[in-house]
Amino acid sequence: MLAAALLALAVLLPAAHALADDLPSFVHDGQLTLCTNPTLPPMTFVNGSDTNALAGMDIDLARRLAAYWHVALIPQTMDFEGLFPSLSAQRCGMVISGVLRQAGRLRNYDAVAYLDSTVVAVARVGTPKIREMADLSGQTVAVQSGTSYAAQIERENDRLRASGRPPIILQQYPTEDQVVQQVLIGRVHAFISQDVELYYRQKQLGGKVTIILTPDYPDFHQFAVYIRKDSRDSALLQKAIDELSQKGEIAAMAKKWGISGDHQSVFTERNAPSRFDFATFFGALFSTAFLKGAALTLVIALLSHLTAIAISIPMAMKLNGRDSIIRRLLGLYVAVFRGAPTLLQLLFIWNALPQFFPIFREHWFTPFLATWLSLSINESAYQVEINRAALRAVDPGQVLAADALGMTTAQTYRHVIFPQALRIALPPTINEFISLLKTTSLASVISLQELLAVTQIQVARTFQFTEYYAAALVYYLAMVFFFLFLQKRIERRFIWADRNKASADAA
Amino acid sequence: MQLSTSPDPTARISIRGLSKFYKDYLALDRIDLDISKGEKIVVLGPSGSGKSTFIRCLNRIEPHDSGVLMIDGHVIDDRTDLTALRGSVGMVFQNYNLFPHLSVLDNCTLAPRLVRGITKSDAEATARRYLSQVNIAEQAEKFPIQLSGGQQQRVAIARALCMNPEIILFDEPTAALDPESISGIVGIMRDLADQGITTVCVTHEMGFARHIADRIVFMDRGAVLEVTPPEEFFTAPRTERARTFLAQMIRH
Repeated sequence: MLAAALLALAVLLPAAHALADDLPSFVHDGQLTLCTNPTLPPMTFVNGSDTNALAGMDIDLARRLAAYWHVALIPQTMDFEGLFPSLSAQRCGMVISGVLRQAGRLRNYDAVAYLDSTVVAVARVGTPKIREMADLSGQTVAVQSGTSYAAQIERENDRLRASGRPPIILQQYPTEDQVVQQVLIGRVHAFISQDVELYYRQKQLGGKVTIILTPDYPDFHQFAVYIRKDSRDSALLQKAIDELSQKGEIAAMAKKWGISGDHQSVFTERNAPSRFDFATFFGALFSTAFLKGAALTLVIALLSHLTAIAISIPMAMKLNGRDSIIRRLLGLYVAVFRGAPTLLQLLFIWNALPQFFPIFREHWFTPFLATWLSLSINESAYQVEINRAALRAVDPGQVLAADALGMTTAQTYRHVIFPQALRIALPPTINEFISLLKTTSLASVISLQELLAVTQIQVARTFQFTEYYAAALVYYLAMVFFFLFLQKRIERRFIWADRNKASADAA
Repeated sequence: MQLSTSPDPTARISIRGLSKFYKDYLALDRIDLDISKGEKIVVLGPSGSGKSTFIRCLNRIEPHDSGVLMIDGHVIDDRTDLTALRGSVGMVFQNYNLFPHLSVLDNCTLAPRLVRGITKSDAEATARRYLSQVNIAEQAEKFPIQLSGGQQQRVAIARALCMNPEIILFDEPTAALDPESISGIVGIMRDLADQGITTVCVTHEMGFARHIADRIVFMDRGAVLEVTPPEEFFTAPRTERARTFLAQMIRH
């Protein structure tokens, strides 16, 4: 058995070495890393309740490429806007996420096309067809943010303005499902997307929407794999895609995901009118995906806040002390991290930091660690003000009395000042925690699979907004109510501060 | 009484040329004083005369800037073991400064346990004994906020006593109390003196000063102007400043 394994190794090893010469530079350490935003079925999405189970045409292609190069595929999921910054930050080797091959993007990245596609403008059923995009003049149109549709509509608007007509009003949403939802609820007139997405969504959208235009934009014909600029890598990737294409493998993938045929006949199937689906709601509520998402939300919030409290106590003591260089630096720290939006800090730590310090692009620096780091720093800037006020509120006579009894500074803080400051700090601290618990939802932009990210991925798959949003709401409220209850319980321990309650307790 | 220029190591407290500055402001001006064992000293003087600063120098809650302070023959300076010093010199404050988050009993046992390393049961036994001495044993389980001002000050005295001090400093202990409570506290202070504890008390309580003090120390603008037995101080003050002070005290 062992001998057989050794023999197999001996045979495989030279082969692997021979291959290494033909490997693109973004494939290394036996890994091909992929950045994708799994909210665009059938290209890249989560098929089922397990948020780690990626599926779709793009995922199949990535797996096939990894197999082609004899390496393991390591996918990372994130918001669409995070894809290209992550590619630049060398967080992943390639982006395959239903991204179109476009001249603008080719300035900064190399792209290899793998699938033909067509742009479609989609509106609610019954909306008359139009002849050109200019006919949408004065109408509101939704697109996914970070996509190139927005730039395309701006070009249309330049032409409209030149001819004195009102421009197309543009709304951008972070996920494709929200884009579609705007049309379904009638907030916008139409949305712009690719035909392949509609093939997949027929089941959810059948009978509700109709294609009103397939504009002929030269830049929107092909989906492409994006990599960092490198002519050798680009040639190797092109060679790989060409081989797969010649063998008919790519066509087979497209067929598997239903990306073929006539898009005019897509919306013939009719759906029952939508009602609140309790089965979906309860299914989501008790699904492991939601439970894991909520647990992650809770854990990251608790860890971040505990870290913030730990670092903000010495900070508060220093800030309450005598003027010094350290005190001024701490003042600056507080000002900067309270001043900058939390979202910006998250994006900075995840996307900008690796450009200064390469160590932050290594695999150990996970979205979890990045979120923990940035929320701890951010929260400490708020918590330090609470601590400062609480420490200041303790009567200076307490320190005097402890001093006169011969207690050391450490004993005085531990047994006299902190217990009294805690009572003052507790209600605003729990308030901060509740706020932080909800702030964790921002971490979906750096691909942390917390509760809201899980919700959005499920919505993208099923289009059942109300049910999944409701399930998420239940989780958030349950967590918040638990901590409010905890606060009440803890406050009961502070009867010493309230004469009436203390007396009632003694009676 | 003329003191020698060097401190007296046989006195409980011996002070020579003690001065203290707050930046440019002279808070204590070359104070000389000897206090013997078991003596009851009352420090009188108008507001801002430096009385509180003076007694806070005695347990080094306020470090002095120059001069010599000697307690039981040991020079007190920046090399002094403060834990030992404060174990032997207790202090009671005008606003009691009890620890509000601790019960009466825990207020009395915290420092003995932390500073002296005494076991919980021993510390509690001692605490209950002193709480009975100040007639407040039945309140041991209550929190300070549930007690009256006079009761809180009794607890503060018991708390100081639990460290077994040889000297207790009183910083206007009756200033925040009603007349009835005052007489109770004054009674306790007299008992302490009878037990041989040296007391130094800053007060405006003339009854205590007159009937219980062994000597009156009269201060003005950081300097000691008179050190005399109470009878002499109240009937025939030697300085004009003391006469004005007494006249004002009587008028009010």
